[in-house]
Amino acid sequence: MTPRRTLLAGAAALGAILPFAPAFSSAEAATATPRQGGVLRVSVNQAASVLNPLLTRVNPEYLVSELLYSGLTRLRLDMTAEPDLAESWTTSADLATWTFKLRPNLAFQDGTPCTGKDVEASFQRMMDPKAGSAARTNIGPVKDVVATDATTVVFHLQGPYADLPVALAYTNAKIIPAAIAKGDMSVLSHSANGTGPFKLVSFSPERQIVVERNPHYWDPTRPHVDRVEVVIYPDPTAEASALIAGDTDLMAETQPSQFGRLRSAKGVVPLRVPSGQFLNVNMACYAKPFSDMRIRQALALTVDRKAMVGFVAEGYGTPGDDTPISPAYHFYDKMPLKQRNIPEARKLLAEAGYPNGIDLTLVASVNPSTRAQLAVAMREMAKEAGFRIKVQTMPHATYLATVWKKGHFYVGFYNMQATADAIFSLLYTSNAAWPETRWDNKKFDQLVEQARITTDEAKRAALYAQAQELMNQQVPSVIPVFFDLLAAKRGYVENYALNPRGAVFLLDKLWLGKNAPHRA
Amino acid sequence: MSLAWLLRRLLLMAYTMLVVSVLVFAITQVLPADAAVTLLGQNATPAALAALRQELGLSDPVGLQFWHWFWALLRGNFGTSMRTGLPVGPTMFTALSRSLLLAACSIVLMLVVAVPLGVLAALRRGRALDLLAGLVSYLGISVPEFVTATFVLVVLADRLGWLPATGYVPITKHFIGGVRHLIAPVLTISLVLIAHVARMMRSETIDVLASDYVRAAELKGLSRRTVLLRHVLRNALLPVVTVVALDVGYLLGGIIVVEEIFAIPGIGRELLIAIQNRDLPSIQAGALIMAGTYAVTNLLADIAYALLDPRLRYD
Amino acid sequence: MTDLFRRLLRTKQGALGVVILLGITLICVFGPALAPYRPDHMDYVSRFAAPGVQHWLGADQFGRDELSRLLYGARETVPPALLATLAGTLAGAIVGTLSAYAGGRWDEAIMRTVDAVLAIPGLLLALLIASALGAGEQTALLAIAIAFAPGMARITRSVALAARQEEYVAAAIARGESGTRIVLAEMLPNVIAPVIVETTIRVAFAVMLLATLSFLGLGAQPPSSEWGLLVSDGRAYLHDAPWLVLAPGAAIGITAIGFNLLGDGLRDALNPRDER
Repeated sequence: MTPRRTLLAGAAALGAILPFAPAFSSAEAATATPRQGGVLRVSVNQAASVLNPLLTRVNPEYLVSELLYSGLTRLRLDMTAEPDLAESWTTSADLATWTFKLRPNLAFQDGTPCTGKDVEASFQRMMDPKAGSAARTNIGPVKDVVATDATTVVFHLQGPYADLPVALAYTNAKIIPAAIAKGDMSVLSHSANGTGPFKLVSFSPERQIVVERNPHYWDPTRPHVDRVEVVIYPDPTAEASALIAGDTDLMAETQPSQFGRLRSAKGVVPLRVPSGQFLNVNMACYAKPFSDMRIRQALALTVDRKAMVGFVAEGYGTPGDDTPISPAYHFYDKMPLKQRNIPEARKLLAEAGYPNGIDLTLVASVNPSTRAQLAVAMREMAKEAGFRIKVQTMPHATYLATVWKKGHFYVGFYNMQATADAIFSLLYTSNAAWPETRWDNKKFDQLVEQARITTDEAKRAALYAQAQELMNQQVPSVIPVFFDLLAAKRGYVENYALNPRGAVFLLDKLWLGKNAPHRA
Repeated sequence: MSLAWLLRRLLLMAYTMLVVSVLVFAITQVLPADAAVTLLGQNATPAALAALRQELGLSDPVGLQFWHWFWALLRGNFGTSMRTGLPVGPTMFTALSRSLLLAACSIVLMLVVAVPLGVLAALRRGRALDLLAGLVSYLGISVPEFVTATFVLVVLADRLGWLPATGYVPITKHFIGGVRHLIAPVLTISLVLIAHVARMMRSETIDVLASDYVRAAELKGLSRRTVLLRHVLRNALLPVVTVVALDVGYLLGGIIVVEEIFAIPGIGRELLIAIQNRDLPSIQAGALIMAGTYAVTNLLADIAYALLDPRLRYD
Repeated sequence: MTDLFRRLLRTKQGALGVVILLGITLICVFGPALAPYRPDHMDYVSRFAAPGVQHWLGADQFGRDELSRLLYGARETVPPALLATLAGTLAGAIVGTLSAYAGGRWDEAIMRTVDAVLAIPGLLLALLIASALGAGEQTALLAIAIAFAPGMARITRSVALAARQEEYVAAAIARGESGTRIVLAEMLPNVIAPVIVETTIRVAFAVMLLATLSFLGLGAQPPSSEWGLLVSDGRAYLHDAPWLVLAPGAAIGITAIGFNLLGDGLRDALNPRDER
């Protein structure tokens, strides 16, 4: 088991660790205690157009949703769960019934109390297929949620599940008022009423979202800043320029193309953390030609994975080995990295009936642009082995409507998930939420299933290792590269660290140092 | 300008909008996207999709769908955005107001630069200034906005750091900030306009200078200054009104790219985002509003022309 | 014809336009032969190489040689623009001439509809059509042709209307020739001179429009080195590698200037008295 690493490129704070060593002068040490007040301006790279917390889909939306709403638990930097609305929880011996105890006197932003009934109604709405919430398939095998009193909520599961508190930290598992959860949710697309640390002031999805301190928040010590302005910068160069110029204080996410520049800029602290965010080249295991495993294996052998990290992630990443589990995951199994082997790839292709090569069309959505970069690099690398790949890009909406989960050969892009189980059952088990490749491997299913109900760490690790080896060998999708998450902040932004999950920000924990600019 | 003429023009405009709405609706019908999928996103189940299709009337005949849409439109209802769930009309009109500000600033800058440039170039034909004006015109009409905009970004924002790179601040909220954010996009857009109008101004001025009445005025012994201001400028400006009106169409197209690059939340960017996200109601509303703006501007230009030049008679 | 060409070369714009376009033509024909590298040859070591001896115009994020990509890309940029313009012109000319020939209510109906379509900005129309047909070089080409047709119809119609008054058309009608024949054999050829000027200038516009569509992701597909796509690809690296944007941007501009100059030159050559 590899210890989870959290790298910080600069001399910045990490989690709850104090940003300054005690040797510093007392004046500086004083800033290590949270400083209240100020306006934080944080930039994001695309519009946060969906405000309904059950339906958010992209990182900027998750960021906003987290400011306004809370769930029962939140995800720590080490992918464990910390209490949020729930102050504690217990489980039955068989891990199939979980009881969550809510904090007393919780309230929504409009002042009305938040009770077990609201939690129950919120989860029931999430689990309703008609609601279209991603939470439905990502919060674990939940069968039913029942509020037994104002501060107690019981989760009945379909079977044992060890990761429930972590799964409930899922981005879409937020609590909304029962009246809305049971009725028309459309009011949530332009207004908000949550239990989060901030409340909504203004919402212009393409431009700026402003929130201010929520006086009804359960923790009187947080948030530390009075107001957060989320500014949208669709152009990565412009976004980086804004941080360098001091127009913004924090960049939630940045591209490798801007990172070098941010590293050398004065007053800017670059942030970097290895993650399990990945690109995968999905192959339809249910249809010709990819139903022949040899073709998938051949393609995997054409990839120079180290070079791919350079081409696609500009060096800010780690090579992948055709499994979605990166070294940033708890149950990563280290295998020798697949080496590029053109003669072997050619041989496999010939055995599969394509001695003269094969023509394929690889689809890549334009968002993010790394999808097309991977496609172009793959096309070049695979050429020598006889793969003649045509690259087709398309707008993301077209991709979602016509290719995603349907196409036979396309590039996917996913955030790191909190657990190995979450990512496997999101994409690769036969009952996965988004079964892109429909690999449908019974042995793999069994391993994941078994691991889910195993509490013994070593046994669980062994099961997940077998699952990873199976994927590595059968290649339902080629996963050549994991991205490090990159971001940057001004030096005066304290107590902020990048979460490898990519979708978790916890801006209520940060504060602005005393040399922060005064913003009206 | 008679009432009959005005009525006829209004009728034509209504016909234009009808054709545009049919066209826009037809195009959105063949866009490769499923409205239900767009709406529900990645987490849709087949059952939910089917229910939603029923609810949206997506399984109705196309003609009926058009009628429902058009009827709502006539009552000022542009529908609800599939992406944000917000009503499309207000979003688009707010965006339009931002674009119009951008366009107005660009037209003002254009008038300030292009009119003197064109006249001076005409007066100094073949000299350095004329050549410079020629070069500017050719650059303006030949370099696409996305290239100009990118150059402006590299130089003014990135290298020199004089301007904020992109974004938008309402000038009603923060005047200086708002103006600073407008400079780069206005420069980009007005370059094209300056190119068109300076060319036009130059050739009109040459024509007017060569005309009999200017010669007559000069023979009468009027000063060159008077001749220039009273006769040349007035007469040369007239066709410019038409060019500007025609340029509004061009400007609206160009604004799509410029707003995208500088992240100005105007109608062009809204429309582009709508197209990229297959947000059909927003596409329809955006395209209609753009075409409507163009039609209205043309009408206004015609009226202005008729008022400025009573010699013209319209049938 | 040779006379026209001589007159064209005598105009400053015409001569300069011809020189520029000759250069572009040579690049389209011999570009691949002149290119030092293959356009999609990736070289890990040369990533973001600055312009220098190895790579005259630098290299991109894959270490691909920018000069080679530009040279190859000419073929994917200029001929499609020409083709799109020609297709649009032809379609427009047919509609315009037919409308002028038909006259009366038909003419009115056709022209009002054409005007209505013209109320949609060209880029927007092209954008909508390209999205409807799906991204790709051919669909972008088709979108531009369709977007151009109404404007060309308007121009040809006004010229054809003038031609219709001419005696030779009246004579043809008197001879009892069929409508199609009159339009194709008598009217179209006479409409051509002003249309040529307009077409030439429109090629410049098509080059820009095509590049813009690629820039917006609706035109040429990677790893094509179409110039608009090169600008689009390079934009992410604007700060560290501005040459990736400057070189193809300049190439687009120069090509469009070439066609604009040629168009102006042609106009002057066709109206020798008018020395603007």
